Amino acid sequence: MWPLSESNVASYFKSLIQKPAFLFIIPYFLVLLLLIAYPLYTNFYQSFQTESGLSLENYKNLFKNPLFFKILGNTGIWVAASVGLQFVIGLGLALLLNQPLKGRAIFRGIILVLPWATPDIVAAVAWKWMYNDMYGVFNDILVRLGLINTYLPWLGQPNLAKLAVIIANVWKGFPISAMLYLAALQTVPKDLYEAGSIDGVSTWQKFRFITLPLISPFILTTVMLTVMWTINYFPLIFTMTGGGPANATDTLVTFAYRKAFRFMDFSGSAALSTFTFLVILVFAVVYTRYLLREEEK
Amino acid sequence: MRKIKIWILYLVLSIIALIVAFPFIWLVITSLKTYPDIYHFPIIYWPSEVTWEHYGYVIRLDFLRYFLNSLVIGIGTAVLTIVIAALPSYAFGRLSFRGKRPLLLSILVCQMFPQVTFVIPFFVIFRRLGLINTHLGMMISYLPFTTPIGIWILRNFFQGIPGELEEAAMIDGCTPIQAFVRIIFPLAIPGIAAVAIYAFIFAWGELMFALSYLPSQEMQTIPAFLTLFVGQYQTRWGPLFAGSVIASLPPLIAFIFFQRQFISGLTGGAIKQ
Repeated sequence: MWPLSESNVASYFKSLIQKPAFLFIIPYFLVLLLLIAYPLYTNFYQSFQTESGLSLENYKNLFKNPLFFKILGNTGIWVAASVGLQFVIGLGLALLLNQPLKGRAIFRGIILVLPWATPDIVAAVAWKWMYNDMYGVFNDILVRLGLINTYLPWLGQPNLAKLAVIIANVWKGFPISAMLYLAALQTVPKDLYEAGSIDGVSTWQKFRFITLPLISPFILTTVMLTVMWTINYFPLIFTMTGGGPANATDTLVTFAYRKAFRFMDFSGSAALSTFTFLVILVFAVVYTRYLLREEEK
Repeated sequence: MRKIKIWILYLVLSIIALIVAFPFIWLVITSLKTYPDIYHFPIIYWPSEVTWEHYGYVIRLDFLRYFLNSLVIGIGTAVLTIVIAALPSYAFGRLSFRGKRPLLLSILVCQMFPQVTFVIPFFVIFRRLGLINTHLGMMISYLPFTTPIGIWILRNFFQGIPGELEEAAMIDGCTPIQAFVRIIFPLAIPGIAAVAIYAFIFAWGELMFALSYLPSQEMQTIPAFLTLFVGQYQTRWGPLFAGSVIASLPPLIAFIFFQRQFISGLTGGAIKQ
């Protein structure tokens, strides 16, 4: 390849291009086999490993442990609340930011890019500080607005901590939902609204009977994506609460991580992460099949 | 009436923008406060005096080293991602072959796998291969997450280049290879840049693997370094926030320019932009 001249590059590609397209795919196959399939297989294998050989022991222990069901419930709350709020806020903001308006790009930049671009760890520590019971700005603002009377220990009390990490996650995650809904809104033909206006249809009716039906496939795909991302999302909870207090904010992934690297229970962690993987796999397969079907339409 | 409506819209959007930007603004303000201001009760919103001491402190703590570690891992991940993604994405975008559809499906499925499922296997594999505590190991561990998205972004790019361009070039006497090198490749450069930057930002902000595979402090990246300030009982907010502000700058700049490509990659083109 060196020195990198056009004829060198060209002859390199010539040798490749004359063979079937399959050769082009080889790099992807290598990643797929060595860096995806093989690690997944090792994890799967590890999840059956016990001191007395291979057995279902790790899974039995997992499903016998009441903590597992608590964490499963936590994950359910974390996902349902985060995704639900991101859907409502995301769609609402997409509708607002879809209005023709001067300076729209600036609003889009601040509202839709800033939280998304902030590194996970930075978002986590910024929120952790805002939630500080004594010096945190969150309590101060809520008291000033008269919403609470006394300062609350946001990350110290189980239910508040659940709420706190969900709020932080909604802040971090709503922009991408909003962007996807914004893109979806732009696929709705404008003349439909004009026709609606002539017929004297109200704004709500336009939304309900024109916008919503046309963007519903996009809503479905976006919600499924956010569900998967939220199940997988690790750094925020890990940094803000470490899963505490009393496992109140532990989800499948934070618990699996600590099981491995705090408690050194690799096999137990492998069983839990295999379980998580299977949950995601179901969503991912349904999502991609739906996506490819839509693409073919 | 219409004017009033527009002003209300501006007002609402400004309030929302303020609320959304607030955590970040607060981060910057706190990083410029003196300790008496940070731990002032009741809290004060505007610093009584602006100080750069936390920035100085973080830089004296060898921040440059972690910055360089992050830079090396980020650039390495970006280069490897491009090298791996370039040819498959060209095939997926412009050639037809048997098994294309299931392979495309596998790309979409793979990019959704939870990171936590890979954390133990890579640990075990890296320990065996002596890749623990190496930057190369970190780069490799990021590839399962950056290459599928990279292939997808680049595929969209190759697909978007009209086939007539190649044909026209060939009519003008170019060979197919010359057409690729002269016409298609230069047109895909923005896509390659988007993929490189996506991979860089992914590595730049990644926490779980960085905490797990880099036990010695001098190899650590910025996110892992920042967690050192988050203690179980006491957190040193000043330097933590100064470091956080610096760490946020590269991704903020990148996202302003490449948000569209990132979105199409992340969603598998669920929505055509």
